[in-house]
Parts: sequence; structure tokens; C-alpha cells
Amino acid sequence: MGSLLRKISIKYPSFAEYWRTNRRSPQNRRIFCRDAEHGDFHCANAECLSSYYSVFVARLAIMAMLAILIGLLTLLTWHFTKVYTNKSLETLAYGLRYELLQRPILRMWNIFNSTVEITTAQVKLSEFLIKKYGKPVNQAEQVELYQAMKDVTWALFASHKALKSITMNYKNGFVQAFHRDHRSNNTFYIYSDLVNYSISGSYDMNMLSAHRGWNDQSVHNNISAIWFREPLDPLTGEKTGKAMPIPPDDLINIAGISQVPDGVASWHVAVSKYSDSPLLSAALPVLDSSKQKSIVAVVGVTTALYSVGQLMKELVEFHTGHIYLTSREGWLLSTSTDTPLLMNSTTGPKLMMAADSEDVVIRSGAKLLQKSYGSDTPANHTVHIKDAKLGNQLYYIDSFILNLRRLPMVGVIIIPRKYIMGKVDRKAKKTLVILISASLSVLVTGCVFIFILTNGVSKEMKLRAELISHLDARRKAEASSNYKSQFLANMSHELRTPMAAVIGLLDILMCDDCLTNEQYSTITQIRRCSTALLRLLNNILDLSKVESGKLVLELAEFNLEQELEGLVDMFSVQCINHKVEIFLDLSDDIPKLIQGDSGRVVQIFANLISNSIKFTTSGYIVLRGWCQNPNTSRNARQSSFAQTNSISPNKTHDENFYKKDNRLILCFEVDDTGCGIDPSKWESVFESFEQADPSTTRLHGGTGLGLCIVRTLVNQMGGEIKFVNKSGPGSLMQLYLLLRAPIDGTTEHYKLNFPEHNLTVLLALGGKMGRLIMSSWLQQHGISTYEACDWNELTSILQELFQDGSYIQNLPNHSSIAEKHNTGDTRTSTFIIVIDIVLLNLSTGIWKEQISFLDRYRGRAKFAWILNHDTSSNIKKELSKKGHLLMVNRPLYKTKMIQIIESAIRDSELQTKINPLISTVVDREMHECLEMGPIQSEGKLEGNHNTSDGFEKNSSKPFLSPYAAVNNCFVELTEVHSDKNDLRRREQDQRGTSNDIQCLTSSNTRGSQTSLQGLRILLAEDTPVLQRVATIMLEKLGAEVVAVGDGLQVVNALHFVPKPDKYQEDSPQADENPGSQTEESCFSTYDLILMDCQMPKMDGYEATKAIRRSEIGTTWHIPIVALTAHAMSSDEAKCLEVGMDAYLTKPIDRKLMVSTILSLTRRTTI
Amino acid sequence: MEVGQLQRRFLEYTASLFNQGLLDGQFAQLQQLQDESNPDFVLEVVSLFFEDSEKLLNDLTIAVGQHIVDFKKVDAYVHQFKGSSSSIGAQRVRNVCIAFRSFCEEQNTEACMSCLLQLKQEYSLVKDKLQNLFQLEQQIVEAGGAVPMLEY
Repeated sequence: MGSLLRKISIKYPSFAEYWRTNRRSPQNRRIFCRDAEHGDFHCANAECLSSYYSVFVARLAIMAMLAILIGLLTLLTWHFTKVYTNKSLETLAYGLRYELLQRPILRMWNIFNSTVEITTAQVKLSEFLIKKYGKPVNQAEQVELYQAMKDVTWALFASHKALKSITMNYKNGFVQAFHRDHRSNNTFYIYSDLVNYSISGSYDMNMLSAHRGWNDQSVHNNISAIWFREPLDPLTGEKTGKAMPIPPDDLINIAGISQVPDGVASWHVAVSKYSDSPLLSAALPVLDSSKQKSIVAVVGVTTALYSVGQLMKELVEFHTGHIYLTSREGWLLSTSTDTPLLMNSTTGPKLMMAADSEDVVIRSGAKLLQKSYGSDTPANHTVHIKDAKLGNQLYYIDSFILNLRRLPMVGVIIIPRKYIMGKVDRKAKKTLVILISASLSVLVTGCVFIFILTNGVSKEMKLRAELISHLDARRKAEASSNYKSQFLANMSHELRTPMAAVIGLLDILMCDDCLTNEQYSTITQIRRCSTALLRLLNNILDLSKVESGKLVLELAEFNLEQELEGLVDMFSVQCINHKVEIFLDLSDDIPKLIQGDSGRVVQIFANLISNSIKFTTSGYIVLRGWCQNPNTSRNARQSSFAQTNSISPNKTHDENFYKKDNRLILCFEVDDTGCGIDPSKWESVFESFEQADPSTTRLHGGTGLGLCIVRTLVNQMGGEIKFVNKSGPGSLMQLYLLLRAPIDGTTEHYKLNFPEHNLTVLLALGGKMGRLIMSSWLQQHGISTYEACDWNELTSILQELFQDGSYIQNLPNHSSIAEKHNTGDTRTSTFIIVIDIVLLNLSTGIWKEQISFLDRYRGRAKFAWILNHDTSSNIKKELSKKGHLLMVNRPLYKTKMIQIIESAIRDSELQTKINPLISTVVDREMHECLEMGPIQSEGKLEGNHNTSDGFEKNSSKPFLSPYAAVNNCFVELTEVHSDKNDLRRREQDQRGTSNDIQCLTSSNTRGSQTSLQGLRILLAEDTPVLQRVATIMLEKLGAEVVAVGDGLQVVNALHFVPKPDKYQEDSPQADENPGSQTEESCFSTYDLILMDCQMPKMDGYEATKAIRRSEIGTTWHIPIVALTAHAMSSDEAKCLEVGMDAYLTKPIDRKLMVSTILSLTRRTTI
Repeated sequence: MEVGQLQRRFLEYTASLFNQGLLDGQFAQLQQLQDESNPDFVLEVVSLFFEDSEKLLNDLTIAVGQHIVDFKKVDAYVHQFKGSSSSIGAQRVRNVCIAFRSFCEEQNTEACMSCLLQLKQEYSLVKDKLQNLFQLEQQIVEAGGAVPMLEY
């Protein structure tokens, strides 16, 4: 078997290899498991192992079953093959043996028969002769008789070659015999001497009975008788030699009367001296023909059994084995071997027992038979013994009986098993071997197949176990991520509250007059840090909100342009410090009002711009925006920036959709000249806590949350953000937002008719980018422009233009307009010079001369000054003195430009009337007009409150109208009144400037600040103290307050007051009309409700719900602000849930209250 | 007494009140709200506070003294008290109120009792102090001086 396997493995080395690897596989697998899971999931590992073992066991079981099956099959096959073969062979063998034995026995039978026949014939002939001759009376007759007898006997003897001898024994003792010696091939005639025998001798029956017939002694031991032997020619019977006297009975047995005692034929086996085989001798009496049957002679015939032996030998030569015949007593009669059958003893040769035979096989076979059956042989004497062990071999032994009368004989045949079954046995062995090897190979193949087939299953199980463990791991990871988000949300909220407190306290502290300058600056620093920290916390909160899917965008109308301008204003302060210019470049096609979450939109841009500022040390930052309507292609002015791959949402198929749904795609670009971002990091910077270059953290700070928040917000608005390739330094980021246009569809654009006024603008700006943007925009609107980047250029252009008193164009790109100017009425055309303050040489005193220089052109051109935030008041004063009243803060953007142009046009129109007084009045009005519409966005963004845009315009009498200087929150108060730092608050009070919220210095704006002027506020507060305080507070701010004690009263108060009249109900747009609003609010209803949450009878929540219910179906929405002592977010959420608009905590912070109220009322009054 | 001296004493006294934490910025805001149109605003508010507080304290005493304390009710009272005290800037009273409310949530009767006692003490303290302050103010006004403004 082993060799077989080896052969197979030699034949199929790959198979052997496979086998070996498979045997090694458990370890590999285990190692793999460990590697895959890094030992983190022990349970999973165990699972894997257990699954592996279960597979292994299943495999083994299948293999074992297969082995058993194949084994059984093999055994059964072998068994049936062998048993049936054996059985049929046995049957055949039995027949063969029977046949083999039958034949010698038949021969024997033949011999007997022939002997008997001869004997009978002899007897009959003798009887006839004796009867013929009668009673011999004399010697001659006697001789004649004997002679006749001799002839007859010879005839018989000669005709039967097999006969050994024929004897005639007469009753008178005369013996006649023929004898044939087979060995010497001699034939003899033996006779006794006649002399001694009387003719009258008779066999006396009585005597016989008395003396047992003839006394044999008389024959055998008749000493007196002389016997002669005459050799004869065997063929003719002629006498060939002389008769020799021999002793009687020397050669042959003469059958005497004793052998035929009862006159019947007798048989016996005899031995003779001269023969080495037993002889069969028969004797028959010759009876007298007379009435009394007396025996006259005895005929004896002997036949050698030699021929039987011969036959047996022949048989055995052909078939192997041994055959022998015995008498019933066991005397050996004939064998197939050459061993002697007779035993020499002192008394002459004797028959021997089969058990004493010299042949080993016969002897042992006979002994076995004797031993197994002993004396009591079966009645029929038939025995079959299979697998008898004789010597070293197995033999079949069979014996049959030949039941002759008087001489029963037993034949035994011993055939070696090998002869019959040898080949079968060998074949059986071979078959067995082949069967076993075949089954083993089948088994092996089956096992291999099982292994291969189950390998897939085990692999699958393994994979499944892995999958389960991975799922588990993922679930865990998700859970932990969830926990993280929750934790962040909770923590940031918990942190934000104390931070807000810290900032508030710092604000209070900063208002303290007792502080020294150092303390003040320290506190300012602390406040800045705290604000930064708060912003970070807000970022985290935003992020976690987005991650936990809680961020919901609100949908409200807002003025995108205004928001962005405010944003740019805010950041420009920082930009100045960085020596970076920031520009806003919004396309005209952007609708004024847009629906969306203004806070979030602003947050997006605030993050992007602050990010750009952080990484831009010099150059510019441009925020471009345009509307991507299907019918509006991009403006030509953008083409200079080689937009290879601008973001363009698939507009072909969305076109109708957007139109129908009033949706707008607003595209924006934030372009800076900072350090830029490696293209490989373009995606990763949007991940949370990811920065393009970690080393910049030290330099610029930041957490890397900004862009992540931006992206999530942009995505939430249905937009997309990405970096775009940019030629030149810096980075270019593009994004688009999906916002809604207002439902009423009044997407009014600027419809300015500047060309009518024949305007020319000289842009003397330091920053190249800003100048380019502005001039291209102006040119679009048909305004010719000139550009100057420094003082020298400005002067040269001015001189060139005004040298002849009228301006003549040389610049080629303005030729057409210039022609227009030339042909048109030059008097009505307006020339505006926009001068950046940085063009003046401020470091020395030259700037005053420069201003004086410009003064020369005053009559012919309108001057507009772009101021820096830190432009000193001296310069401002100087400019004002010189009559340069149009001053705006940096940066210059579209709205400011429009305002400049409008005021210039108006100014020039007024100038034509030459009425300076009216002019100032108009200026004043216009100033107020410009003052309208403060930008609120930052309030939402950072909690601070920006009250006015950056448009600053002093009236012609700054000191006569002390409130005219509109405060800009980014102009630090100290810049205006730097010399009176210690007295700044009182100064501010006097001047009546509205305070920067961040400074919270609004404490003492007694009588001066009436920011809530004209508002009617319903105050619901049950605590009298609070009620009183709040009432006074609000009244101080100019609001009209009606105080009630509980929610029920609130509801009633609203109901008693006449419902908003028809005018307002019918036209919701009326809310947007400030004039009508102020009038309406006086008598119609309240502008706002301040609602305490916990009140008797009906609390704030219930009251709010009731109010909101009653509002259903109307377009009216009264702002409700919650006032509560609870300071937890859940309360805030609850407040907003029931329909309140905002939320204030007790004790009331006046600033916050004012800003909240303003933001809410403004929404309706704008 | 001289007006100047009185004024100085007034300022010192007020400052001490702030330093002791009896009052906080809210009180200062109240003072700032007081002007010609509302000359007695602070006094008015404070006396409102006194009235309100005494009523509340009575209610509280009854409520806490009940066999089975209705913590909800107590909580509402304390909440109100907290609102009014924080509105006039009585910081310590407010702090006790906060503690009181947390005990209310725990439904701890013993602690509520002690809190009530504490509340009463604090209240009487602040009442005394404020009354003194108003007396001083009165004196200043009688002496013909102006009540000095506190700078915060």
C-alpha cells in the first residue's frame, strides 16, 4: 500500500505537494486568523478556530464513512466471489474425486467379474468333462480325463492373460495347475504325481463336516506327493522343458475343498511368495452330476491385483494425489504408489494395514481416517474430509465402499487441495489484493475529493466567521463613533456655556473705567482668546451636529449680497493687518433676495475666507460669485482666469426642474495668493482635523475643522466644493450651492442706468486685483474707467485729462466712450475719482500737499476716498475740511461703488442748482438712507452684533450733527478718539455713536440710543421685579412696552387689539416697507412679544402655542422671544419647538436683548 | 454731614456690597437705568422685590412646613424667587435659590428646610444692606448732593 502511495506521489508530485500543504494548512490558517485580526478580537479568533475544527471533524467523519463503505463493498465482493467459486469448485472437485475413485474400483470389479467368469467357465467345463468320462475305472481313463482337463484348462488359461493361475484339485488329491509368472514371463504347468492318488478317493461329505472337508494337510503336507513343474510356451502351451519336481504348494496356492465348504464360490485375497502384490483368488467347487451333489473337484483361479495398481498409477500420474484400496478390515489391497503392499514376516509375506503403509501420505491419511472415525465407520463407509492436514499440505480425503459380497472393499482417494483449489486460492489472493488496493485508491481519491469539495465550504465558513467578526467590529466602531459625536455635542455645549459666561464677564470688565491700559489690553487679549475658543467649540458642535444628522437648514429670505459684503467688511480688517486685499466680486445676475439658511451660508464663506486669510501673507483674496442659470452664461470678466474645469452641475437635465422650483445654482470661487495646497491634499483637507501641512499648525493655528464643516454644509445645501487648478501661487476653491429664489419671483437686479449720466471713473487703487475687478464691472455698465496704481500715475492721468479743461481720452480701450464724451455734453458728464488712501504718502507730511494738489480738480471731479480702518482721524478731519465728504472704508465693492456713483450723480445734480444748504440736507438724508440696512449676519455667526455696514460718510457738518459718524464695528473706537482713551465711554456717549457690541460699552447711552424706537413690545412677566426692570430697560431703548402678568393676558391682549388690518393682511409685502411698518405698528398690534416661560395660569409655552395656532391661515407672524431662567439647551429647544423665535436668559443682558429684538423685527421691517 | 463725605461713604458702601457678593452687575444695570424720567426706579424695583420676596418666603415657609411637601409648588416658588432676586442682582440670594432648586429636585426635605432658613437669612441681610443704602441715598439727596454714579 505504501509503495502504491509512493508511486502515486511520484507520479503526481503536485498532488503530493497539495497533500502536504493541506496537512500544513491548519497552522497557516491559524496564523492567518491571528494576522487578520491582530489579536483584537479573541472571541472572533476562537470562533474561527472552532469553525475550522468543526469543518475538520466533518471532513474526518465523511472520510471515515467513505472508508467503511468502501471496505464493506470490498469485503462483500471478495466474499461472494470466493464463496461461490469455492462452492462450485468443491462440487466439481467432488465429482472428480468420485470419478477418480470409481474407475479403479470399476477395474477391480471387472477383474472380479472376469475371474468369476473364468472360474465359472472352468467349473462348467470340468463338470462336463467329468460327466463325459464318468467314473474312471482305470488308470488310462483317468489319465485321459486329466489330459482333457489339462487341455481345457489351458485353453481358458491361455485366453486370459491376466490370470495368475488356474488350479484344479480333484477329490483324489490330484492337482493340475497352470501358473504364469509375470515377472519372468514364464508359464508353467504344475501337476502332481498320479501314483499316490487312488481313483476311488471320494469326498466324503460327512468326513468334510467332521474334518472340515478335505484335510488340507493332505494336500499341502502330503509329503508323499511329488509335484512337477513343466515350463510351457506361453503361447502354444507346448512343453518347452523337462518337468522338474518341486515341493508341493511351493509356487501357488492350490484351492482346496476347505475353501468351498458350502459349495458356493468363495473369494479371498491371498499372498504368494513369488508375487509382490496381493492376489485375488476365487474358488468354486465342481459338483457331481449325480443326484447327490458331491464335490468332485475344486477349481481355483488367482488373479493379480497388479493391474488395478497400474490403473491407479496412471490416474494419479494424470491427476496428482494418492488412491488406495483396502479391505473392510483395513488391509491394503492396492495403492497408486510403488511401495510394497506386502509385509515380510517370518511366516512369509503378509498383507499390511493401510496405516502401516510405507507411503507417508497414505499412512497419515489412513491414520487420520482411523483417528477421526475409529472403528465405527459410517455404515456406507463414505467419508469426505476437506482440508485434512497431512504433513505440510492440505488434502481432500474421500472414501467409498465397494460392497462386494464376501469381499467388501474400501477405496480412499487423497488429493492435495493445491491441485483443485490451488489456482483458485492464488486467484483469490490476487483478487483480494487487487480489491484492497483498488478500494484504497478509491478511498484516497474520495478523501481528496472530499477535501477539495469541503475546502470551499470551509473557506466559506471561515469567510463568514470573518464577516461576522468584521460586522461586529464595524458595529462597535459605529457605536463608538456615535458616542464620540454625542460626547462632543454634550461637551461642547457644556463648555460653551461657561465660555459664554467668561466672555460676558470680560465684556463687563472691559467696561470698567478703573482699568489701567495694560489691564485693558490684557483683558482684550483674554477676550480674543476666549472668542477664538468659543468659535472652536461652536465648530465642534456644528460638526457633531452634522455628524449626528441633527443639523437642519432653515429656509428664510435673506440678502446674500449684503451678507457677503458684511463678511468682507469684517475680514478686511484682518486683511489689512496681513497686508492682504480682499475683494468681493459678485455678478449682477445674483438675485438680491435668496431663500436659504443665511447663517450657514455666511458660515461657509466666513470659514473659507478666514482660511484663506490665514494662509495668505500678501496679495489678494477674491470672493467671486455668479449665478448659474441656464440662460445666464458666465460673464466675460471671468474669462481672464482660465477656468478650465469650473464646477458646472448637470444643467441640461435639471434645467426645467430648477426653473419650476425657483432653484438657483450659485457658484462661488475663493481665490487667494497664499501658500496654496498640494493637489494630493485637495481631498484630505476636507476631512476633519486634517490640515494640508501639519507643520502649519504651529504657524497659523487652527484645528482643521473649518473646511470639514464647510463641506458638510455645502453638501447639505445640495452643493459641492473642491479645489481647482490655478495658475500662479495660491489656491482656488470652487463651490456651488443650490438655493431657492424667493417664491414671489421678484428677483430684481440692479437696473442702473449709469450710461445716462455719462460717467467716467478714475480708479486710483493700490490693489491691482480690486482695480481690475471694479473697472471691468464699471465698463460692463457703460462707465468708462481709468486706472492708476500709484500717486504718480494718478497725477499724470489727472494732468493729462484736465490739462485742457476738458478730458480727452487717449487710452485705446476707452475710445468709444471717449468719443461719446467728446461729442456729448461735457458739462453734464460726471467724473469720479476714487482714491485709495494708501496712495497718499502718510508716513511723512506730504499727504497734506497731495490733498491740496487734488483740491485743484475738485470742481471738475467728485472725489471718493477709500479709507483704511486705521486711517487716523487727523486725515479724516483734514479730508472733511477740504470738502472730501465721500469716504468709504475698505474694501470697495459693488454696493459701495453704486452708492458712490449715486451720491456723486446726485451731488452733481444738486450742484447744478448751486444750493449748498439743500445739498447738505440731501446729503444728510442720503446718509441716513445709506445707514439703513445694517448687516446682521455676524450676529448670527459669532454672537456679536454688527450694526452697520462699512459705508461711512460724513455730512458736510460733522460737528453740527454729532450722530452722523456711523460707527463701524471694525473701526476701533480708539482710532477715532485715540487721544481720549481713558474717557472713551463718555466720549462715545457724547458723540452718540452706537457702540460696538463686542465692547458692551453701551451701558450709558442714556437718552441717546433709541434703537428700539417705534417698536411696540408686549412683555409677559409674572415676577413684578423683573417686569419692572424689563419695562424700564425697553422703554429706555425707545420701545413702547405693555406689560402683562401671565400667558392668558398675552393671548387676550393680542385678541383685543384689532387684528392686523386689511392692508397688512392683503399685502404681505407691506411688511417690507419700512415706512408703512412704522406707521402700522403704532396702532395695529405689537411688533414683538417678550414671553416669560414660567407664568401662572398659562405659561409661556402654552401661550405661544395658542398664538401660533391663531396665526394659522394668516400671513402674520408675530415674533416671540422667550425669557427664561432656565439655561439649558433643552429649554431652548422646547422654546423653539413651540414656535418661539428666539431665546433670552435671565437676567436680561441688554445688548443681547436689543440685538435679538432688532434681528427679529428687522426681518419683518426690511 | 458733608455731602462729599456722604457720597464717599455711599460709594464705599456700595462697593462693599459688591465685594461681599451680595449684589452683582444686575444691580449696577438697574442703577444705570435710573434717570430723570424714573428718579426712584431702583428704590421702586427693590421695594417691589421686598414685597414679592416676603410673600414668597411666607408661601415657602408654609409649603415646606407641610406634612407632605409639594416639591413642585416649592420649586415654582423658588424659581420665581430666583428670577426676581437675579433681576435686582441679589447674587447670594440667587445662589441659595439655585441650591434650593436642586434639593427640590432631589426631594430632600431636610435640605430644603435648611435652604429656606439660609434663604431667609440672606434675604434679611440683603434687605438690611439695601435699606441702609437707600437711607444713605436719602441722606445725600437731603443734603442736597447728587447720588454718585457707580462705575462698573
